[in-house]
Amino acid sequence: MTALGALSPTRTAAPAAPGFGAAVRAEWIKTWTVRSTGWSLTAMFVLGAGLTALVCALAAEDLAAGTTGEPVGAFLTWGMMFAQVTAIVLGTLAVTSEYGTGMIRATLAANPRRGTVLAAKAVVLTGTLFVAGTVTALAGYLAGNWFLDREGIGVALSDDGVLRSLYGSGLYMAGLGLFAAAVGLLVRHTAAALSIVLGLVFVVGNMVMLLPDAWGEWATKLMPGNAGGRIATPESFNPMLLDPWVGFAVFAAEIAVLLAIAAASFSRRDA
Amino acid sequence: MITAHRLTKTYGRRTAVDNVSFTVEPGRVTGFLGPNGAGKSTTMRMVLGLDRPTSGSVTVNGRRYADSPAPLREVGALLEARALHPGRSARDHLRWLAVSNGIPSARVDEVLDLVGLTTVAGQRVGRFSLGMGQRLGIAAALLGDPPVVVLDEPVNGLDPEGIRWVRTLARDLAAEGRTVFVSSHLMAEMAQTADHLLVIGRGRVLADCSTADFISDHAASYVRVRTPQHDAVATVLRRHGLDVAAHGGELRVQGLDAAAVGELVGHAGLLLHELTLVRSSLEDAFMTLTADSVEYAATPAGAQR
Repeated sequence: MTALGALSPTRTAAPAAPGFGAAVRAEWIKTWTVRSTGWSLTAMFVLGAGLTALVCALAAEDLAAGTTGEPVGAFLTWGMMFAQVTAIVLGTLAVTSEYGTGMIRATLAANPRRGTVLAAKAVVLTGTLFVAGTVTALAGYLAGNWFLDREGIGVALSDDGVLRSLYGSGLYMAGLGLFAAAVGLLVRHTAAALSIVLGLVFVVGNMVMLLPDAWGEWATKLMPGNAGGRIATPESFNPMLLDPWVGFAVFAAEIAVLLAIAAASFSRRDA
Repeated sequence: MITAHRLTKTYGRRTAVDNVSFTVEPGRVTGFLGPNGAGKSTTMRMVLGLDRPTSGSVTVNGRRYADSPAPLREVGALLEARALHPGRSARDHLRWLAVSNGIPSARVDEVLDLVGLTTVAGQRVGRFSLGMGQRLGIAAALLGDPPVVVLDEPVNGLDPEGIRWVRTLARDLAAEGRTVFVSSHLMAEMAQTADHLLVIGRGRVLADCSTADFISDHAASYVRVRTPQHDAVATVLRRHGLDVAAHGGELRVQGLDAAAVGELVGHAGLLLHELTLVRSSLEDAFMTLTADSVEYAATPAGAQR
């Protein structure tokens, strides 16, 4: 076996610099050539759409009778509360699987412009999660609303906040994924990053309600999951939360700060 | 061409690479040799811009790696065979690499064929043996048809056929005029592959010379002479201009082969009890050179008691 024959024909003189599009396409291929992506998104759909349908089916009668005291709108994207775990997993793995396997060195050898690499990852991750989150929420709404309709309490897509909650679910999933990726970039370890983000969203986000008075109220409003999650539901079980777009702006700002710190660390640290 | 200038890398108080300067020239295989922990991999990572030098600089073809517009077309590198996601197929791994640097996708199949992985290209690399992973890493290094090739311990995990293949490949690449920089901790392997050696120990350059010079400088041979007429034999040999050193009961003679030494002693009518050509191996030479710089030395079993 000789190298000469195979190497010479494609020899190129002056390589043109592949731009941002090439970096995005490379990340796109990476994302879709590992099984975890398919599994995570399937899990998102099953949890998000399936649990919404299930809870609507079970609660429809009581809701129609008006005995629960809960707003109907809060049930329309109910499953997304659980589906958000998969967005966190996907966002974390997008970064930490590269560090866990040593792949990050191949990535940065192929493209040493770390800002470009990070931006390409962010585009692919948020794009994928936005579409998957919106589709999942829509499917959950259609299935759940079918049960509500049977009891005469169906909600139209044009009703206040319904459409927003569907693409809002996509936005929230995308934001969570990015948040998790930023944490992954800082700690570079799958289990550690997952623990931090899941703990922050599911445990700390609820525990802060126990703080006294205004402290508890504002901590609850501002925790990332609470601030960002409100946009993903037409009405909330928790009336204390910030308004949907205000909350999402807070969430976006939190992501931006975390991502800026992660990007600064990423561009400076050894791979 | 790779040029390092006063390259230094420290981790906390430990200095991994210590003020190293060297040039790796095109058209020949340069062996980067040193014991484990000598700083070879750290140096190579700095060449590729993965690790940031504490001070000093390193350039490839005159510019920093990070400034290269399409680095895979300029420098192909095998850093670790396992820098792969185990769930991705070999072909997919090469596909994203190709796309990221604007390399035509036809090249993916070319390099798969070149390293002999065509039949397993669709398999997930988690199932690959160490040797197959190594071959895939080499395929990735050759993907951009780069003028500079950097291979960190390429023969690790390869069978004898694979080792010979890497050796031939490295030489062919150099013969095409490329810069080939290959690291190894195996002296014998390097002696057969490299035209030029850069020996490093504890982060410092210990030798930077042609392989031939390294061998003649460090792997000296001598003729061992044992004789009951110690002083008389030594005098005769010295009279003929030979370098004679007494070591215990033996004489070590340099400058002639065993037959010629025997004849000189015989013509002088002196007795010989032993006449042996002793060649210290390259491995010995390497060990001697790097003896002070081995980071994790094992104590000989006997010495522990």
